[in-house]
Formats: sequence, structure tokens, C-alpha cells
Amino acid sequence: MDVDADVRARRASVPDVLEQAGGLAPGVARRVAHETGVPEAEVHGVASFYDLLARPDAKLRVCTGLSCRLAGADALLDAAKSAGLPVAEASCLAACDVAPAMLRDRDVVPAVTVDDVRRAAPDWTRLRSQAAPDDEPWRGRIGPDGADREQLVFDLAGDLDRSGAALARARELGPDAVLDALEESGLQGRGGAAFPAHIKWRGMVSQPPGPRYVVLNADESEPGTFKDRELLVRRPDLVLEGLTIAAQTVGAEDVWLYLRGEFGLPRRVLEAELDDAERSGRFGALRFHLHSGQGAYVCGEETALFEALEGRRGLPRHRPPLPIESGLWGRPTLIHNVETIASVPAIISKGGAWFRALGRTGPGTKLYCISGCVQRPGTYEMPLGISVDELLDAAGGCTGTLRAFSPGGAASGFLPASERTRPLDFAALGEAGSMLGSAGVVVLDDRVDLRDAVRDQLRFFEAESCGQCAPCRIGTHYLRDALDRQAAGDRDALAHVADVAWQMGEGSICGLGQTAAMPLTTALEHFPEEFSS
Amino acid sequence: MSQATTLELDGRTVEFSPGETLLDVARRSGVEIPTLCDDPRLEPVGACRTCLVEVEGQRRLAPSCMTPATAGMNVSTGSERVDRHRRTLFGLYLTDHPVPDGVGEAGDELLEMAARYGAPSDWGRLESRRGDRTSDRNPYVLFDAERCILCARCTRYCDEVEGVNAISLSSRGAETTISTADALSLLDTSCELCGGCIDVCPTGAMTEKLPRTRGQEEVPVEAVRTTCNFCGVGCQLDLLVDRQANDGRGRVVRTVSPEPGTTTNDGNLCVKGRFAYDFIDHPDRLTHPLVRGADGELREASWDEALAAAAEGLRGVAERHGPDALGFVSSSRCTMEENFLVQKLARAVFSTNNVHQCAAT
Repeated sequence: MDVDADVRARRASVPDVLEQAGGLAPGVARRVAHETGVPEAEVHGVASFYDLLARPDAKLRVCTGLSCRLAGADALLDAAKSAGLPVAEASCLAACDVAPAMLRDRDVVPAVTVDDVRRAAPDWTRLRSQAAPDDEPWRGRIGPDGADREQLVFDLAGDLDRSGAALARARELGPDAVLDALEESGLQGRGGAAFPAHIKWRGMVSQPPGPRYVVLNADESEPGTFKDRELLVRRPDLVLEGLTIAAQTVGAEDVWLYLRGEFGLPRRVLEAELDDAERSGRFGALRFHLHSGQGAYVCGEETALFEALEGRRGLPRHRPPLPIESGLWGRPTLIHNVETIASVPAIISKGGAWFRALGRTGPGTKLYCISGCVQRPGTYEMPLGISVDELLDAAGGCTGTLRAFSPGGAASGFLPASERTRPLDFAALGEAGSMLGSAGVVVLDDRVDLRDAVRDQLRFFEAESCGQCAPCRIGTHYLRDALDRQAAGDRDALAHVADVAWQMGEGSICGLGQTAAMPLTTALEHFPEEFSS
Repeated sequence: MSQATTLELDGRTVEFSPGETLLDVARRSGVEIPTLCDDPRLEPVGACRTCLVEVEGQRRLAPSCMTPATAGMNVSTGSERVDRHRRTLFGLYLTDHPVPDGVGEAGDELLEMAARYGAPSDWGRLESRRGDRTSDRNPYVLFDAERCILCARCTRYCDEVEGVNAISLSSRGAETTISTADALSLLDTSCELCGGCIDVCPTGAMTEKLPRTRGQEEVPVEAVRTTCNFCGVGCQLDLLVDRQANDGRGRVVRTVSPEPGTTTNDGNLCVKGRFAYDFIDHPDRLTHPLVRGADGELREASWDEALAAAAEGLRGVAERHGPDALGFVSSSRCTMEENFLVQKLARAVFSTNNVHQCAAT
């Protein structure tokens, strides 16, 4: 028996064993320690880190992300509390298009009303909504209407393609031609970093021989973002085929799929798709390992995700080394966002040049999420580089007068309506002091209190900071506290925000802390009048 | 032979050996870089962010404790950017830390550094959300969560040096704290009460409980280096002595381990060496040999008298009942040489093999 592998596997099992044990409660850490051989203090450290494990009594959670707050999350929370239901707040459930959303155990319940909550009481297991009355697998809205399906990479409305044609084509081409196609496509990481995918793949190929892994990052948790959920539920075929092509090209025999713990539905869809793939044998001997997270936004940071898969607290690692050199269990690891990997089959089938030409200011199409003050919130596959105006047109327009928007998740801050024609791409938004990030666009009309919106975003980062480094741990706490003091009448409360934000940007270990001040700093820049009292 | 290589450090060309970090190179070259989470006995984690320096060509400031020195690097430890980083970082730390009237209090490395690097202390004060363990009934180690900066020296020491893993980082974000499983008392965990967490803590968040439970006042102390006499290992320790106490006879206030790397015990002590110093001034402590007289009462005697009485008794038993009626047990507090002498006494002087040492099994 390989002792190291056994120790590794037992440590990696800690979060799952904790989940089976019912989460953190007196005596559980010791029992799990006996079972896994991991010291009990460390087990406690892991259990207390992940929200779903740390607060197991909260059977229901109300999403408090910005879009859900705008849609009445506070009223749901009040209703659930006064009905005596076991409820807590959740940071963001990746369901901004079906706001306000709630979590029932590990399943997202979309578009919940106060009546739904009251009807369920006193039995939390009975919570259902009109959008998914019998717990049917529900779908979000997609668009744009009337799109030319030949010009779509994902074709979210399309049928599952289990032919394995792209994989067969990749085998026919061979690794070098696959890498060339990827390079020609110009595909950039869709998780937000925009790193050229082909450089990662080539980096993997050039690693010394030995075990290596491919990892799917499906920890989608950035407020305003839900495209990966929609992709997983509608087109799991593309995700698995993309992973297989990647594994085959870089020589990996194991693929890890890390889904956020709140993705009960996407997990079931993926399980069914994996079952089918296994029966058909179309992915050969490739081993897929499905893993559910336990509630931590920071695990979307790829090195924190490795820590989580290894069964530890999700603390981001320093880089270098890069994941392609030393990732999961210290082995070369290719890790990609769901959308990035799902782009691969089309690139292989139709060619890199085809993909590149789809975009307007950058290569490819993009899954834009739009929510907030918009008529038809949803996931829209459109050319990379469209503007907020075009996205709003596709989504039926703003519900009021457009005042501000957050172009790419909480970390992208807020831009004024005057930027409505700016291309939503990596470069143009960077020039505006923002970023495309995960392309989770949240639209605010003139009835929204911007200071409240900023507070929601700050509160999110405060709740989700891993606490490892001081700039982020103290900075996120400080900024939310300063905004509250300012709202309470302390005129000097924001005097040091610029210095604190600078420190967070310079001093934090990972992207969370480096960008967590953006909602406040961008709002102060573009909407100073909101903060004058 | 390793090939010497060079890099530029604040405008000077300095040599380094493969495997050295920028922090190693700076320290060797006499360049000061502040650190809080660094400890020579522990793997670097780069968590405190105080040691960040500027490396030409790198977009982000680099943690010097984790950045390997490479040939041709141009490193700046005193640039305007690094200066601002230190000022704002310490300024932020101070918003989350108890700050007495004068920043720069002795014994708190954070406050000392904040003063040295001109950090602002007027950014307001946050309420600590770190959980503590005030109900922990262990008599020795006190955790003051408010003073904790989460450098994790204590948890890493407990893991990497002691191999005990009694404490761990717990919770997350602003609620991150140092905890045992279920916040149990240290007495109910694998903790061996070595007190190493106290020694490695830079801010006094881990402190010794005894002086507090006794209401001991802070007094000027003098460190007296000595050899721990609880066992034969020979750990060096510093007795912190209040010279004025006991009418000038002095009193041991607490003990600490000398700096790592300076003595054989490398900064480590066990529960006895660290905390069992009360016997030194205890009224019940025997300070003279006692010999039991014919009336059955113990009386103070000189060492010569006492040794003579012991020799006479031992000889008497051997003569009356034979050498194997005697047995010798030496103390685990003896050194190896002393143990050798005891078995010599048993075997060569009294001709018996009945000799044992209490730590043997």
C-alpha cells in the first residue's frame, strides 16, 4: 500500500467526513480526527473555515448578494426568522438572475417570495418557489433571442452533443495541432484573469514526466455571476469533452471537478452526464473526480481551491510557483474556469480562427450575466466587446433610468451610466479602472441607494476574506466599518480609505484582497455626492 | 563547491548562495527588513506582509521571506513604495490592535515596528471579532485574542517543532483566531504545555498566566542564564530575576528560553523548564540535608554528616544481608555522567547489579 497516498486521501476526505458527520458541533472534530488521522485542532480549523460546515444548523440561507438584496432578500430573511425557520445569510448563491434566491440544504431555490417562505413554515424542507414548484431542474433565462446559432460557441439552447466528435477530431489532430488551434483562437481565461489558455497548456506539456492533473474550477461565487451554473446545467457535455481534450493534450489521467457546495443541481446534472459517459466509454480511461466545496468564495482562487481539494482551510498560496509547475498535491496542474474549458470543443471542431473572429474587440463570444435593475436578467452569449447598452437591449432594457453598473462582479466596482457604450472586454474596462472579471454585470437604476449597494459588496468581501493576510483581513473589516460610521454621521470616517485601499492592493496575497476595496473607491470616484453627508 | 552569484540590494552588489531567500541575504548583509511571522525554525508563510520588498521587473511587491534570491535581481528595501507599504500596513494593523498611550511599548514587536516606521495611529479602532478561550482552566497559557495578529507562529511552532498540533487557525476573515478543537481547554487536548507559543508570539497575545493569576506586578528583571536541572538534557534557560525581591535575595519571576540558534535546545523548553520555577523560592523547599536521629526526628545536618550517615546505613545493610539486599535508583534529573557514577557505586563499591534509573522502563 502506498502510505503517502493513503495519508493524502484521508486528509483530503476531511471536509466530506465533516459533512457526513453533520458539520461542526461539539465532539465532531475529535471523531473526525480519529477517523482520518488528521489532528483534531486542524479538523476544527477546517470545519470552522467553511460556512456550510461551520453553521450546520442553518438549513435555509437567504442570498444577500447585491442583486438579491435589490430584489427583496431582506424581506425573505425577516419572514423566515419570524416564521421560526432555521435561517442564516449567505454571501452569494450564483443565482442573481433568479433573485431573490435561497439555499435549502445544498440546493438553490430560485425566485423565492415571502409567501413561499410562509407556506413552508414550520418545515424548512418544504420550501419551494413558483419558479421550480416540484423541485424540477430549473433553468435560468438565456439569450439573446434570435441569435445565429452558427455563431455561438456554447449554444446554451442547443441539445446535448454526446457524439464525442470534437474529442475524436483532437485525437486526429494530435497535441501539437490542438495547441496551435488554441493559440490561434486567442482564448483567454474566462474566470476573470484573462490569461491566454494556450500558454498554460504549453506550460503543462513542457513539465518533466510524472503525474499531473486537470482541474475544473466551478466554484462560481462572484456576486453578479451565474454563467457557469447555467453552462453546467444546460451543456455539461461541452464541459466534460473540453476537460477530456485538455487531459489528453497535457497527458493527465485524473480530472478533478470542484463545484461549489451550493451547486446541488449542477452536481446532479454532471453526475448523470458522467454516468452516461462511463456507460458509453467515450472518454476512455480518464478518471473524473467530482468534489463539492463547503461554502467559501475564496476557493474560486485557484490555489485556495487546491488547498480545499487537499482537505485544508482554503488559504490562497503564494506564487511562484505557478499551478502548472506545482498545483494540486504539488504536481503540475492545469486549472480552468468552466466557461474556458467549455470553449474548447468548438475551437477544435470549428477552428481557432473561427473562434477568434466571433469576438468584436477580443477573441470569441462571452457569456455575459446581467442582473439587478433589468427586465430580463439572464445569461447572454454575445461577441466579446459589446457594451452595456447592447446587453441591456438584449435583456429588455433597464427597469428605470440607468445610473450605474458593475461590469464584472463585486471586485470590478461601479461605473457611471456615461460608460454605457464602453466595450465590455478585458482591456477597455481595465483602462476605465475597472475590469471584465467574470462578466457578471449588475445594473443599478436611479432608485437604488448607491451607498447601500457599495455596503453590500464590502460586506461580501468582509464575510469571505480567508483571514490569512492582514491587509485583506483587517482592510475588508475596516472599509465596511468606515462606511457604516460615515452613514451614521462621522464626517471623517472615510478620510483614510485611499491609504487602506492602496495597502490592500499592494499588500494582499491574492486577488480577493487586492480588489476588495474597488466597490468603495470606484463609487467615491464616480459618485462623490453620494458620500458627502 | 557552490558557485557564488550576486544580486543588487539597495544599490550594493551582494553575493548569495543557492537556496537563500531575499530575507536571508538582507540579514547577512546588515540590511534591516521587518518581520512578524518569520521564525528560523518554521517554514515561511509570508502571511504578515511586513517583509515585502520591491524587485525590479516584478509587478507586485515580493515577500522577502519566500522569494528565492536569483542572479541579477535588483532589490530595493527602502524605496518610496516599500516605505509607504510599511507605513500603511502598520497603520492598518494598529486599527485592529490594542494601542496604549505611547506606541512602541516594549515587548510588543508590532507596536515597536509601527513606531520605528512612522505608522499613523489615528485611523480609528475596530472592535476585535476574534474568539478567545477565557474559560480555559489551564494554569499556564493565556490567550489574549485582542492582541493576536494571526501571524500563526504559535500554531506552526506547535505543529512543525513540537509535533503536537494542539492549536490551529480557526474561523475566517476578521473572526479568524487561534483555537483548540471546539475551543477546549488546553488541558483537554494534546497540548504538552511547553509554552513555546508564548515564546514565539511577537505581540504578547500568548502570555504566561501565572504572573496574572497571582496579580504579580511588572518589575524590572535581569536575565540569568542557567542550565535547567529537571533532566539530563542540559537545556539552557534564562531565569528572569527580580533582584530587589525577598529583601534583596532576589526572586525568579519567570523563565524564558534563550534565542533559537544560540543554545542546544534551540529556543525550546518543556513544561517543567518553562513553568516549574516556583520551587526555587518555595517555603517548603529543603535547603539543607536532614538526618533522622535515633528519636525518629529529622534534624538539619551538614553534607559531610549526611553522606556519612547514608554510607554507614548502606554498608550496614550490605554487611547484614548481603550486597543484593541493596538497590540503587537514580533520578531522571541526573546527567548521564551522574548515572554512570551511580551504577559504578552499585557495581564496584557494593558489588550489586541492582541499579536502575527512574526514566528507564
